[in-house]
Amino acid sequence: MTAFVTLAGVYNTPNFGVERSRDQDLMTTSRALDQFLASIERRAFKIAQLGLRNDDDALDAVQDAMMKLVQSYASRPVDEWRPLFYRILANGIRDMQRRRTVRGRIMAWLPGRNSDEDEEVDPIAEAPSHDPGPAKRLELEEAIGVLETAVAALPPRQQQAFLLRNFEGLDANETASAMGCSEGSVKTHYFRALENLRGKLGEVF
Amino acid sequence: MTTDFEKRSREVLEESTARLDGRTRSRLTQARHAALAQLENPARNWWRSYVPAGAAAAVAVLAVVIWSGPTPPVAGPVEDMEILADAEAPDFVEDGEDLEFYEWAAGEVET
Repeated sequence: MTAFVTLAGVYNTPNFGVERSRDQDLMTTSRALDQFLASIERRAFKIAQLGLRNDDDALDAVQDAMMKLVQSYASRPVDEWRPLFYRILANGIRDMQRRRTVRGRIMAWLPGRNSDEDEEVDPIAEAPSHDPGPAKRLELEEAIGVLETAVAALPPRQQQAFLLRNFEGLDANETASAMGCSEGSVKTHYFRALENLRGKLGEVF
Repeated sequence: MTTDFEKRSREVLEESTARLDGRTRSRLTQARHAALAQLENPARNWWRSYVPAGAAAAVAVLAVVIWSGPTPPVAGPVEDMEILADAEAPDFVEDGEDLEFYEWAAGEVET
C-alpha cells in the first residue's frame, strides 16, 4: 500500500505530466517529420542530382537539408516544411556548385588524376529497381535521358523553377518562398524554362 | 492550366525517380534516420553551437600571441639561486655606509 501511495505521488506530480507531454510531442513531431522526409526524399534527390550532376554530391546535399530542417525548423507548422526544405536544399546546391567552380579552377593547376580508378562497383547500386518490359523500358530510358539532359542544361534559376513547380508540385507562392524571390520572377523563370525545353524536346515529347 | 508537355515531363521525371537504385534509396533512408536522431538526442549536439564561437576565440588568441611580438626576458628561479649562491657579500655590507644602523636595528629586534 505504501509503495502504491509513493508511486501514485510521483505520477501525480506536475513535472511528470509535463515530461510525459513533452515526450509525446517529440514522438508526434518525429513521426510527422519521418513521414514528410520519406515523402519527398526521392524527388529531392532527383532535383539535387539534376542540379549537381553527381549522385554522391546530391545525396550529401539532401542529407544536409534534412539535418538543417530537423535542427532548425522542426517546431514550425507542418505546411511550412516543404518550402523551407526546398529553400535549404536550393541553397545547398548553389553552395556546392560554387565550391565546385573554385575547386575546378584549383585542380586545373594541379597534375591530372583519374578519379575513375578509385570507383568501386557496388552490386546493390547496379541492381535495377523494377522492370516494366524491354520495349517500354527502352522508350522510357530514352525519354528520361533526353529530358534529364535538357533539364540539367537549363540555367540554374529556370531549372529550379521548373523542378519545384512541375515536378515537386509546389504552387507559385511556395516556389517563390523556396527560391527566395517574388511570384512574378517564378512565373518568368518557369515560362522561360518551358520554352527552352519545348525548343529542345518538342519532337521527342 | 497544365499542358501535355508539362504532364509528360512530370511523368517521365517521376518514372526516373521510381527507378532509383537500391544503394541510393538505402542512403536516403539512412540520411533521414540520421536527421531524425538529432531530434531524439539534442544533448549530444549542444556543443556544436559553441564551435563557431570557440573557433573565433582561438583565432583571436592566436592573433594576439603572434602580433604581441617577443616579450622581455623575466628573471627565473635559476637566476635567483645564482644571486643567493654568489660568494660576494650583499651591497649594503660592502658599502659600509649604514652598517651602524643595521647593527642598531638588529639589537632592537633582539631586545
